Formats: sequence, C-alpha cells, structure tokens
Amino acid sequence: MGLPCGTYNYSYAKDMAILRTKTHWALFIALLILVFTAPLYCDNYLLGVANLMGITLIAAVGLNILLGYCGQLSIGHAGFIAVGAYTAAVLTGTFELPFLVGLICAGLMAGLVGLFFGIPSLKVKGFYLGIATIAAQFIIIWFINHLSITGGFTGIAVPYASIGGFVFDTEASQFYLIMTIAVLCVFFAKNLARTRIGRAFVAIRDNDLAAEVMGINLFYYKLLAFFIGCFLAGIAGSLLAHWIGFMNAEQFSISESILYIGMVIIGGMGSALGPILGVIFIRLLQQGMMFIAPMLESAFPALPAGFASGIAPMLFGVVIVLFLVLEPRGLSHRWMLFKASYRLWPFSY
Amino acid sequence: MKSRKLLTLAGVIFLALALAVMPLMAACGPAPEEPTTPTTPTTPAVKGPLKYGMSICMTGVAAEKGSPMGHGKLDAIKYINEELGGINGHPIEAIWYDNSYDAAKAATIVKKMMSDGALFFTTNSSKMMMASQEIANRAGFPGIASFSSPICTNPPQHIYAQMPDYGDDFAAFANYYLANIWKGEGKPKLALHLLNNPTGSGSGDAALCLADELGIEIVATEEHTATTISEMESMTRIKAANPDVLFIGSTPAPSAVVIKNAYELGLYPGVVIGCAHASFTKAMVAIAGADIVEGVYGVFPTCSWGEDVPGMAKMTEYCKAYHPKDYGNMDYITSWAEALVGAEILRLAVENCGYDKLAAGDAAAWECVEKNGIQKLDYDVEGLHGPVKYTAGDNRLDKSVRVFQVVSGEITAVSGWIDAPRIPYENFPDKFPWAVK
Repeated sequence: MGLPCGTYNYSYAKDMAILRTKTHWALFIALLILVFTAPLYCDNYLLGVANLMGITLIAAVGLNILLGYCGQLSIGHAGFIAVGAYTAAVLTGTFELPFLVGLICAGLMAGLVGLFFGIPSLKVKGFYLGIATIAAQFIIIWFINHLSITGGFTGIAVPYASIGGFVFDTEASQFYLIMTIAVLCVFFAKNLARTRIGRAFVAIRDNDLAAEVMGINLFYYKLLAFFIGCFLAGIAGSLLAHWIGFMNAEQFSISESILYIGMVIIGGMGSALGPILGVIFIRLLQQGMMFIAPMLESAFPALPAGFASGIAPMLFGVVIVLFLVLEPRGLSHRWMLFKASYRLWPFSY
Repeated sequence: MKSRKLLTLAGVIFLALALAVMPLMAACGPAPEEPTTPTTPTTPAVKGPLKYGMSICMTGVAAEKGSPMGHGKLDAIKYINEELGGINGHPIEAIWYDNSYDAAKAATIVKKMMSDGALFFTTNSSKMMMASQEIANRAGFPGIASFSSPICTNPPQHIYAQMPDYGDDFAAFANYYLANIWKGEGKPKLALHLLNNPTGSGSGDAALCLADELGIEIVATEEHTATTISEMESMTRIKAANPDVLFIGSTPAPSAVVIKNAYELGLYPGVVIGCAHASFTKAMVAIAGADIVEGVYGVFPTCSWGEDVPGMAKMTEYCKAYHPKDYGNMDYITSWAEALVGAEILRLAVENCGYDKLAAGDAAAWECVEKNGIQKLDYDVEGLHGPVKYTAGDNRLDKSVRVFQVVSGEITAVSGWIDAPRIPYENFPDKFPWAVK
C-alpha cells in the first residue's frame, strides 16, 4: 500500500480545497456515515448526549471565531446563548411562529446583542474585554429574569421544533436536525477562516496595530467577529430551547461561559477542528463524572460518606489541569502531530 | 523535554495516588456501624429488580441539600431491600446519577434513566426537575420532585410533587402568622426576600396571588442569588419599608446571610421572620449561628428528628449508622420519606400490573406506574410527613405542612399539620401564564 509522502496540487482550486486527497474524502464520507447512522445503533441516552454535544459545538464554533481567530475574549457566551434560546422560546412558544423563523431570529437577535457588547472591543482587549463581556452575561440574565414575556424567574416552555408539518419529536429526529446544523456551522467556520474576513480576524488577533496599518478596519472586523460568534451562539440557544423544552435563566450561568472557553482552549484555539475535539472531550468527561460517584459507592461501600461524590469534581479538575499542562496548544495540535508522524512514518524526520 | 517528562510522571503518580487512596481512606475512615438492631429479611429479595431513577445534586452549589437527600434515599432503599425483602421479593435497584445542579446534565440524566428502564424518577430540587420535566412529560415518564415549585405541577401532567411546594409554604406561614402571631391593627406589612430562581419565585407568586385574599400588604420585594455573601443593601431597603414580617424563599446559605444581615441591622429580633422549606434546615442554623436565628419561623412538610412517629426509629438507626453527619438534617427525613413513597408506588404497580409489565421499563410500564401506582397512593409515610394521596387535578401528593421555630438552636415544631390547599394560579393567567399552558 502506498503511503502519502507528499501532496502535489496543480491548480489553485485544488490547493484551496478543504478535502484534498482521496483519503480525506474517504475519511470524511466515513465520518458522515458514522455520524448520521448513529440513531441505528445508539439508544436515546447516547443520542441525547450527542445532541447536547452538537448544540455545544455550534456555540463553541462561534466562540472559536471570536476568541480563536479574532482574539476577542468573551466570558459572556452563555448569556448570548440565552438570548437565542429565549428569542426562539418566545417566538415559537408565545407567538407560535415557525421554528425556522425562530431559529434565524434567535441568531440575529444574539448577533445584535453581541454587536452591542462588542463595541468596547475597539478600546479594550484581553482581560479588560473579558470583564466587559462578563457584564453582558449578568445584564442579559437580569433582563431575562425581569421581563414578563420571558417568564421571569419561573421560565418558559418551548414546543418541539417542526419544519413543514414534520415535528422533531424523537431523539433521533432531533439528532438529525442538530447534527445537520452543526455540520453546516463547522463548514461555514472552516470556510470563513480561509476568506478575506478570516485572514483579517487572524491579523487582528496576532497584532491589531499592524493589522490597522495594513488597512484592516479594526472596528468593523471586531464587531463582525462578535456578530458571527454570537449569531452562532443564538442558533445553539434556539436548538437547546427546543431540545430541552423548558428554559430558565439559571441554565445559562457564568460557569457555563467559562466552560465554553475551556472547551475552545482544550480543543485548540484558531482551528476548525479545535472546538469539535474540545466539546467532545469536555462533554464526555462531564458524562463520565456523572457515573463515577455511583460506581465508586457500589464498588467501595465502606467509603466515608461524601467521598465518592467528592472525587468526581476533583478528578474533573485534575484531568483538565493535567491536560493544559501537558498539551497547552490543544487537542487539535496533538492531532496535527499525529498526522505529521503518520505521513512521515517510518522515518523520524 | 526533561521537565515535560517530570510533569507527566507527576500527573500519573497523582492520579495513581488518588485512586489508591480511595480504598485506604475507606479503611482508615470511620467504619460504618452495623444497624443497632439488624433484622433478618423476612422475604429475601431474590426476584427481578424494580428500577427507581434518581437525579441527585450530590455535588455543585446545591450539594448542601443534595448530599443529605441522596444519603437519605439510598439508605432507605438499603433498608427496604435488606430488611423488608424489597417489594414483594423484588429488590429496588436505585439508578442514580449526580447532576451537579447542572441543567444540561439533568436533561441527559432523565434520558439515561428512560434508556435504563427506570419506572419513574425523582429529583431533589425544583431547578433540576424543571430541566428534566419537559423531556419526561413529552415521553410520559413519571417523575416526583421532593422539593418543587408550582410550575412543576401546574398544569398537571406527568410530574408530581412529593410534598407541598414553595408557594404552599407561604400560604401556610401567612395563615399561621395571622392566626397566632399578628396582634396589630389593619393589614400586616410583609417584606419578601426571594432567591432569583423558581425556589424564590414560587413563594413570591403565591404571595402575589393570596395577599389581597389574606389581608396582607406587600411593602417590599427583594431578590438575592444563591451565592450571595451580603444582603446589607437590600435589607436596608427592607428596613426602610418598616415591615412587620419578613418571608424568605430560598436555600439555607443565602437565607442565613439574609437573617444575619437583618440581625446586624437591628431589624431582627423585631420583625417576625419566616422561611420556606428549602431553606429551613440544620444547615441554615449552622451557617447563620444558633444565637442569630433563634426564634425564626419556618415551614417544613416533614416531622422533626426525634418525634414519636412509626418511621422515626428505623430512619434514625440507619442515619446514625451510615451517615451520622446528616443526623438532625430535615432533608434526610424528606428523602428517606421519598424512598418510602417510591417503594409504595412500586408495590401498588407490581400488585396492579404484575412484574412482567414493569420489567420492560417502557412507556407502557411508565403509564402503569403512573395510573396504578402514583394515582392509587393512599399512604401515611410512617408519620414522617403528611399522608400522600393523589387528587385529580392536583399533582401534589402530600398536602400538609407544619410550622417550626428555632428554639435553643433546635428546629422545633410549633404547630400540628396544616392543610395546604392548592393555590388556583390558573385564575390569574395574566400573572401566571405558565399555569394555563
């Protein structure tokens, strides 16, 4: 079997293609088949976890555009997801508008709110911008809790998603809906990074002064990054609302926002693959932790009270800390190293 | 490169130590005592299991309540299986997961329990039930919330409340206050301090709904977060409103902060303070300090520790043997009682439908448990709380509460069981749209 030791492109179109080799295509098609046949061999719980990962992925892709590509720190991402969730909930639940209208409006509303809170990004950056976006988190949640249309502290029920009379009322149908949108979002983000806009984002991230000198309009591109990042957060929020069926502001805490940053960092900032790996890693780790306490208590019945349940969050923290220490450039970097070694094998250099 | 290897090694050693230390700690820790009066099972539980789903906040910000509640229900199931021989010989299999008070986790947990074939599920917080209830209602999977907000059971679907909700707490306390404490002229002035979630809004909604009917004037409504460390500002505003009575709808730690701040401002003693049941526990007394909370009233739907009721001896024995730190915590009683109610539901379902139908753990089994178990309940819960009985249109199973007071640092009952009639939220659709949808 011939191993790839170099890929030669004879046209710009080939050079720019996302999938450049037959192996790429084969792996991509195999992955799509694996993902979209999951309802055939996964039970509702696993599909539920996959749905949660798909929704999280859409939001994480948005944050990756904002933080990973454009370098704008946002610690209020859960707040923007909440804007999308409540917009969809009100439009489809209270006003009984179609799901697709709610979905698009959720994205637009979250994007517009993101634009507003992104304005300080022209003057402040780094941790200072992070603090400004924390304000977004608190202000958004305060509004949600104090508006009667959102159900206030009590919350609001959300109907199933439906398109053209087809109701997504099973875990499998929701899976197809969520995964289709997630794949489209990942594809959008991947392509965005290769456009003039994506290159402008990266230039701003690497050195905004130099980017401005080169003629990049910082205000426009930073706000555009906020709009796109928050638009995707809104789309994720809409899907979350229809998936859970009931929204309450407590579901969008600041710890969720921090967790999203963790996912992007662990996956690898500024790469299309990063959010995918980060989301899978964190969400699976969370699910694993859910099982730890019952398992430990049944395996070691003599454990002191509270020890088994206490070990789960401790392990969660230890795994993340170890990961950040051992692979600070993220899982996507580890994947790149693996691919490089695969291409060069059996030669070391 | 060398430091990287050292870090890897350190990480591996740490993880290995963490794993190794578990059994060691088990060996060195306080050995669980055997129950003082072990009883030989009358009928050994040898038949197929009955699966009982539990979503518990063992960790996270609500662990102060979730942990004793988890212990209580797991201990009760141990008792039912080991001493009572399960349910007609079928052991109860507790399928429990730690939701960490995280809504996304709670949503996946309820799906997991449905996939696992659980016959019904329970949560020990209204927030976790609200994150799970729409999924369960859509699937017809019955659930029981130990602690509930009115929205969990209004309008009635497949979710039931083990005990009266936070709104009923307010109604019961207000009635008690008007009948036994209020000696002034005209309408008493009420201030509300509510947690900014359904726990708080449950009490607040009931106050809005009933204030005119009861003849109470609401002069201030303040809110706080679950992680608040000071409420001096809001309590200063409340003090300025000169209330006669302050009602707190919250959880133990923030309630302790509110009461401490009231004490520091000289507002308490002076005003009467009442608490809804989610906050009125041993933990609140411990956090605020027994001297400060002395005389504070609270509503709670269970009996208190040491009372002469049929279920007290066994519960106390198990609590002291397996989770002595929880002794005195009312949340333990709540969840021990929840497991007894759950066992009774399963007993009724087995007798009415047969085990084979339940063993499938599918939609037909859930319907059977709901129709022939939950809705057929008529059980006194061994005196641990009011009797549980289903009434059409009211998904609260127990409908009575008692008023307690902190006396010499102990939570002491000062009333008998008070009926907690259902509050007709649906009559105010503008204020409470959730009650009619």
